[in-house]
Amino acid sequence: MKPFTADQLLKSILIATGIWAVVAVACMMVGSTGRIEWPKDDVFEFRRDSILITSLIGAALASSGCVYQAILRNPLADPYLLGVSAGASLAAYVWRLTSFAGLLAILGAMSQQAFAFLGAMAAVGIVFALATRRGRIEPITLLLVGVIVNAVCGSLYLLLIQFNKSPAGSGSEMAFLVGGLQTSLLPEQKWAAVTVVSVGWVILLYFAGWLNAAALSDDEARSLGVGIHLLRWISLIIASLMTASAVAISGPIGFVGLVAPHMARLLVGVDQRKLLPLSTAFGAILLCVADSAGRFLAHRSLAGQWLPVGVLTGLMGGPFFLLLLWQTRRRE
Amino acid sequence: MLLTANNLSFAYATKPALRDVSITLDAGQIVALLGPNGSGKSTLIKCLLGDLSPTGSIVWENTPLVAWPRRNLAKHVAYLPQTPSADPQSRVIDVLRLGRAAHWGAFGIESAQDATVIAEVTALLGLNDLLSRPLDTLSGGQRQRVFVGRCLAQEPRALLLDEPSTHLDLKHQVELLQLLKRLAAERQLGVLMASHDLNLAAAFADELVLLMEGSIATKGPADAVLQPETLEKVFGLPMERLHLDSGRPGVFPRL
Repeated sequence: MKPFTADQLLKSILIATGIWAVVAVACMMVGSTGRIEWPKDDVFEFRRDSILITSLIGAALASSGCVYQAILRNPLADPYLLGVSAGASLAAYVWRLTSFAGLLAILGAMSQQAFAFLGAMAAVGIVFALATRRGRIEPITLLLVGVIVNAVCGSLYLLLIQFNKSPAGSGSEMAFLVGGLQTSLLPEQKWAAVTVVSVGWVILLYFAGWLNAAALSDDEARSLGVGIHLLRWISLIIASLMTASAVAISGPIGFVGLVAPHMARLLVGVDQRKLLPLSTAFGAILLCVADSAGRFLAHRSLAGQWLPVGVLTGLMGGPFFLLLLWQTRRRE
Repeated sequence: MLLTANNLSFAYATKPALRDVSITLDAGQIVALLGPNGSGKSTLIKCLLGDLSPTGSIVWENTPLVAWPRRNLAKHVAYLPQTPSADPQSRVIDVLRLGRAAHWGAFGIESAQDATVIAEVTALLGLNDLLSRPLDTLSGGQRQRVFVGRCLAQEPRALLLDEPSTHLDLKHQVELLQLLKRLAAERQLGVLMASHDLNLAAAFADELVLLMEGSIATKGPADAVLQPETLEKVFGLPMERLHLDSGRPGVFPRL
């Protein structure tokens, strides 16, 4: 048996980055003009930014999905299960209600993204608070509470829209429900997301090996020297922070966090030390490709306008999820 | 002395589970914990691992349990639960590797020593042909060997087992106990195991500890502990004792 050395770790990160870079460059050539060619100066910057941001979001969602699946001991777990997306959408919409923002001056001073981030963290906080007993996280309860908080936030969101009497589907409030990239991001907002995601990712990678013990019973994990309760807390909080900062700039983009880790698992198995880097790359690639496909379809006027990237990932990811579920059931 | 535990008492909520239990384990010694369900065998093991906090004192290798960092303790004491667990999709090699978790560096980086130990354990348990097999394709006996392997990969000085032979057929039970006996003799491994099988325990253990309602009813060599009167009191069943051809005592319920 070859030991898992630092060389191997670096190699797998380099390979993962390499695959992503190839796809990203290919995506640069796909545009809404319909011609496959290197972008001219006027759209170059726009397209580059769009690809980098989708990649960042895909990477954040996939790596946190990978971690959620390990900790919740459930291969079908998705970063959105814990109410992150619903909380962010709700908060982002509340921010739009000027009457409400007027009541609290502080809201007016914050950007919609910062507010969405806080909403996401509040939802996760509620989920954690309800799903822990004596400071211990119980995976099954966590999943159940997450689903419920998600549903309640979603309903509140729709309720607010109803009260506000804006026609559903026409305004950009819908965009935040289906997942579309925000085009008007300030540089600070981008850099905040980049910082949270990359620092979080390195911390997750640091713990990745020990995260393998999350599949065991708690007393076994401890007997192997892994302080599993603390590890669960740390990784769930970091993964949620990463998801929240992604959702804050993109709205909920479903299924990337579910699909990418699964693709990676088929190639490298269950060891988180190899799984995390590859999942991250796959997540970045998937979202990059979905975004380019959205641009391309816009030209073909199949969609009439740019498709929010969340629509495409949902269309591709939904069937994939069902396939997984079917396979799992057949194995049992 | 590997382990010295004195006057351990523990209660779940208000229900006492251990009362004033004292126990020792020496290097190379096999100690069997016997007693009916709920007599405190598993509770005692959990206390010794630090999963529960009893009153009294627990000292592993001259250092009190509370002073052991978890990671260091994992390099000295291994634990095999009744139903060991792993990611159902993991391969045998993944399970064995995890046994080295306490030895890894930052980012889970492994040393050459980690690889050597795993190769050694693989050979010792005859797992060579199984290394890349998914865990869920193994038989019960093979599975058990893999988990024993994970424990041995920790390079422990003491091994605590909670009813390790519950899910095994007779042949695999005997093979497991023979392996433990060999490790005790060759590597001076101290073995403490909870068991339901009085006769197998008597055949392999150096000392039997008989628990009843959280207290030690009696302890000592098999011949002294396996007395029908004591067993009747502990298990609430009329017992009889035979002398087997091998010279060992055998005890059975009187039906």
